[in-house]
Amino acid sequence: MLRKEQNDYLCQTDPGTPMGNMFRAYWMPALLSEELPEPDCPPVRLKLLGERLLAFRDSEGKLGLIDEFCAHRGVSLWFGRNEDCGLRCPYHGWKYDVTGQCTEVPSEPAESGYAKKIKLKNYPLIEKGGVLWTYMGPPEKTPPEPMYEFCTVPLNQTFMSKRLQECNWLQAMEGGIDSSHVSFLHRGDLSNDPLFKGSAGNKYNMQDLSPVFEVVENDGGLLIGARRNAEDDQYYWRITPWVMPCYTGVPPRGDHPIHGHFWVPIDDENCWAWSYDYHPTRPLSENEVNAMKDGKGIHVKYVPGTYRPLANKDNDYLMDRAGQKAGKTFSGVEGIGMQDASLQESMGPICDREKENLVGTDNGIIMARHRLLRAARALNEKGITPPGVDPEHHKVRQAALLLKRDVQYKDGAKEALKVKPGVRQTSV
Amino acid sequence: MLSESARMTTAHEASFRIQYPNSKPRAARIIALDPESAALVNEVSKQKWNGAKFFTSLSFTADSGPGTTDQGMKAWLGDLAGRAMDLAGEVAESDFVVVITAAGEDGRAASVIAAACKAHNKSLIGLVVPKDGASEEDVATSLDHLRPHTRMLVVASGRDYIETMLTALRA
Ligand code: FES
Ligand SMILES: [Fe+2]
Repeated sequence: MLRKEQNDYLCQTDPGTPMGNMFRAYWMPALLSEELPEPDCPPVRLKLLGERLLAFRDSEGKLGLIDEFCAHRGVSLWFGRNEDCGLRCPYHGWKYDVTGQCTEVPSEPAESGYAKKIKLKNYPLIEKGGVLWTYMGPPEKTPPEPMYEFCTVPLNQTFMSKRLQECNWLQAMEGGIDSSHVSFLHRGDLSNDPLFKGSAGNKYNMQDLSPVFEVVENDGGLLIGARRNAEDDQYYWRITPWVMPCYTGVPPRGDHPIHGHFWVPIDDENCWAWSYDYHPTRPLSENEVNAMKDGKGIHVKYVPGTYRPLANKDNDYLMDRAGQKAGKTFSGVEGIGMQDASLQESMGPICDREKENLVGTDNGIIMARHRLLRAARALNEKGITPPGVDPEHHKVRQAALLLKRDVQYKDGAKEALKVKPGVRQTSV
Repeated sequence: MLSESARMTTAHEASFRIQYPNSKPRAARIIALDPESAALVNEVSKQKWNGAKFFTSLSFTADSGPGTTDQGMKAWLGDLAGRAMDLAGEVAESDFVVVITAAGEDGRAASVIAAACKAHNKSLIGLVVPKDGASEEDVATSLDHLRPHTRMLVVASGRDYIETMLTALRA
């Protein structure tokens, strides 16, 4: 249960809101590199944290993220012409560069300097690991670049996709740290999905349906350990990291690429679910990349030409009651990503947490909310930089491992939880 | 035409969520395992709760009747009014039990409470709260005491987490 004021505090991220200020302390994924593939390519509209923006790559390849609307009469610059190092509004020809600076107002004499007086709001846009990242906070507080391992390995070792999720960011993110749903909702996929199946660890998941949990705070957020019984006086541990505010990692399976998510608010009723898959030490195979592109694992199939999932609320998520009955899927919805998204969207655009009944094993979620509230208050009231801004906090790996029963997971998994360039993930 | 799901997930439809209560109050038992956490529990107990009961000590008397420990002892929980309540009886009446220990303090009494929880099929949540000057080893000691017995074990960096957690669980 969370009181309404606290729920609003956490869920609202528009400019000027406390949580909005907090999100504006971080670099966030804004677009896939593929969306702005080359100089002078078509500009892209996007909304982040309740702000309508336009991204483009100019003739020299420079990236810009600016206010979507022309300062003259408010036309969307999405209709603009991207040419000669700038974006020209098609209505009366005003032109802007990647910083949002107006460079031409054709109706005024160039010598008048009128254009210099016009400047659209802009945010930095940097490219790293196949992702274009933005930082929407005060320029003087710009943090160092993100250092999540998926964006630091060579490009042939990493794959990123994104999908539109039509609900508030928090209920989506909470799914990423809700370790106890996996043995139910995703039951069928552990053995069928090409990016999950065949790992030795899967059997422990299926044999022991009531794991024991351990939640530990760390510098950047949380570690959520789920422990299941294994043979020879051992436990099978799956450890999920959460880095504030919205990065979650899925513990690995076998030598499959490691995956996880970013949950980025678009506005209060929509978010981008970003899904990465990478391998720390080897290129992804053709089969793996094809499976990811085909919507397997945590990725989804799309409505052609969009990032909206093909199974979406307009078609009842392609609900397959026969498949549900036969046990092919647990919920009747196909694919791990859409199994999560369909249920989270069904909570409503912004989940009402006054009605929920949490149990002890939901402490990962309770603690995450607690830390978000605490950090947002510290930032808004005292200007304290929140956890997760420091790139050192990004260097955490998810892990799956067997430990002797008397070994502390904090000790036994200590090395496994560190990002080590060139060293394989710890996985069963 | 809009699909059923599309219609049902609008903000407008979400506002029609049924307003009748969907649960009855749950009986929580919160037990401090050491004097340090007892002081915290004492503080937290002054808030308004939905029937949660708070205990700040555990003691034993020699006995061999039902509900006694392996060593032929009967365990008693001390409540805030200074009364001794039968551990087995309190656990039997509860819906879930929370044990709290301050990092590095002696949390071994968790095993006795866990045995009672096991006998009555109740889930046990363990919470380690910080203590001034406690080291990593202190936290590890507390975890050692609690880990074998709890279904959910939480290491909190702030003492305010007790209240947050109990509120979230509607204790
Ligand atoms: S069983 Fe968890 S939401 Fe219904
Ligand atoms: Fe899931």
